[in-house]
Amino acid sequence: MRLSTTRFGNIDIDESRTILMKAGILGFEHLKRYVFLLQDKEILFWWFQSVDDGSVAFVVINPFVIKPDYKPIIQHNNVELLEVESPEDVFLMSIVTIRSDPFKVTANLKAPIVINSKKRLAKQLILDKSDYPIQYSIMDNKVILGEEFYKKEEIIASALAI
Amino acid sequence: MLILTRKLGETIRIADEIKVTFLEIKGKQVRIGIDAPKHIAIHREEVYQMIQKQNILAAEYDSLGDKKLSHIWNRLIKEKEKI
Repeated sequence: MRLSTTRFGNIDIDESRTILMKAGILGFEHLKRYVFLLQDKEILFWWFQSVDDGSVAFVVINPFVIKPDYKPIIQHNNVELLEVESPEDVFLMSIVTIRSDPFKVTANLKAPIVINSKKRLAKQLILDKSDYPIQYSIMDNKVILGEEFYKKEEIIASALAI
Repeated sequence: MLILTRKLGETIRIADEIKVTFLEIKGKQVRIGIDAPKHIAIHREEVYQMIQKQNILAAEYDSLGDKKLSHIWNRLIKEKEKI
């Protein structure tokens, strides 16, 4: 399937790699289908591109890259909703907000996107009971990016990206 | 807005599938219980609004293309190396 996007021009996507967002992303509820685009293995920012509207795309990052001790609790009803059978199929992505002036890059740890890679189902959760911030500064919180991160990212990419 | 008066322990039903029960009142706080199917998302309004606003802000990242994203990433990596 050919997809016309604002940022990447025309891209060919395998329909079986699309992700169905249950309830959409808050503020974009009408858009249900997305794909993960990975442009450069060295860059751990990915794109979450809407299939239904080529002009809508989010920068996302694996939250464990920026916060290794991240422990969101996924409620049972969401496990059911996403038809999760095995924890290995579940991945998380945080939406990143980038501001150029002043330069500020934050990730939303309060409302991660939870993805069942096997069933290609996802949902933006709101972690009501946690204190994780909506604007977690990536710059102000140190991260040591070892080789293992890149290895893990490759596994996630093979599960999620087109 | 529809306004109803209910006693503690009483319930209101919204459509076929949603039940709201008033459990406890403590000063200005009310505890309610909600039974709804799992596809119905229930959130505190103010949190919902904040997440929605942040998502819209994130999607505004429009004019920046691939090159800029790598630039931003490199800048973050550099920031990290300094630590």
